Amino acid sequence: MIEETSKKGLMEKLIPRVAKAALWGALTWVFAYYLPMLLFPIDLLPLGYSQFFHLFVGIIVFFAVVVKLFSGTIFEYAFSIARGLIMIIYFIVVLDGGILSLSIPIEETAVNLVVDLKAFLVILILVNLLGIAKSMLQATRFLAKKVETSQLSVY
Amino acid sequence: MKPAIRALGIATIIIWIFLIVFAATAVYSVMNLDTDFREAEFFSSSNGIVLSMPFFINNNGCYDISELNITTRIVDSNGTFLTLSGTFIPIVSRGSRVEAAHNVSIESSDMTEHMELLFEDSSFVVDASIALKFANIVPVKMSMNMSVPWGAPFSNVSMGEIFHLPFNATHERVVVPLSFENHSFFDLAGTMELEIYNDGEELVTSGETSLDVQSQSSYNEQVDIYLSLADASKLTETGRARLIFETTMFTVEKWIPYD
Repeated sequence: MIEETSKKGLMEKLIPRVAKAALWGALTWVFAYYLPMLLFPIDLLPLGYSQFFHLFVGIIVFFAVVVKLFSGTIFEYAFSIARGLIMIIYFIVVLDGGILSLSIPIEETAVNLVVDLKAFLVILILVNLLGIAKSMLQATRFLAKKVETSQLSVY
Repeated sequence: MKPAIRALGIATIIIWIFLIVFAATAVYSVMNLDTDFREAEFFSSSNGIVLSMPFFINNNGCYDISELNITTRIVDSNGTFLTLSGTFIPIVSRGSRVEAAHNVSIESSDMTEHMELLFEDSSFVVDASIALKFANIVPVKMSMNMSVPWGAPFSNVSMGEIFHLPFNATHERVVVPLSFENHSFFDLAGTMELEIYNDGEELVTSGETSLDVQSQSSYNEQVDIYLSLADASKLTETGRARLIFETTMFTVEKWIPYD
């Protein structure tokens, strides 16, 4: 009887959380993939970069879902920090350390294009570092609150 | 701690918005950039010849294009350096249109150093590069390597059988059939001087004729030169002819044996 009640309670807690996470994931997908695709067709991107773009959408949708799924727990912040670190690595890899080199075949000639995005990459890394710092502070605050609550309940 | 978290959150959002807006407007600007090279023109200068490639840039984007530098380096099919040319445009402001021309000059001295290019069809290797700064923050460099066919202006120069006809009491007329093809993309206008040397390398007679050969057309004429009867015996059955082509762009000579 007790087991059934706790199961029901768990489901009641879990269903809205999953629904919220799914909704958040769908919204992230719309803003990260659907809307940009409406504005800029994916054909504009060279083949390798269209795969990187799909990977980018996959990463941010995944983390949007898990962060919402574990919201209110320490895992929310852990996943946020992980997202920041993964995004930094992703941008460094995709932007080839800030120097983007492409070879575009035009008729019989290959046009080599080199775009120096180092300044852009530095800003991208910086914004992700800020995100990580924010998540770390939030995690510290969360843990401090938890300790405070447990100490209050002892007294 | 709460204000710090809020401040960090706001800063992160602002930077993300800036980045997304910049990325979107940069892509939009590149898509709205209209640029094209027009038909190349060929003209002579005091130093040699100039190949002028007019182009325009219509910057309909949101950002300026600065420090635009177009460089072409031309080498012949053997890799021998021919010419290096550059065009610099300091700025193409957003919403503006810039018309310019990239001039590739080949000096007369270089032409005469690579005489074979005037008589034999060949190909050039053109290394072209375009460097610019997009939105004053993103340096972009485009480079390409292409092989361009070169048509010689005096291709297949040949001389037919020389014959002489009586002209008057003191001279006879020497008829020299001459032909060549102008495979180049410029017209030839000038003069051609012809000197006939016998098998003893002695100058027998000379003459001059005007040249006006359109691009991609043939020259096939009989050049008349006159020889005094006293020198008629000097003309041997075999020998060499010296052709001196003098145009507004260059002066070049070629020796051809005759028999």
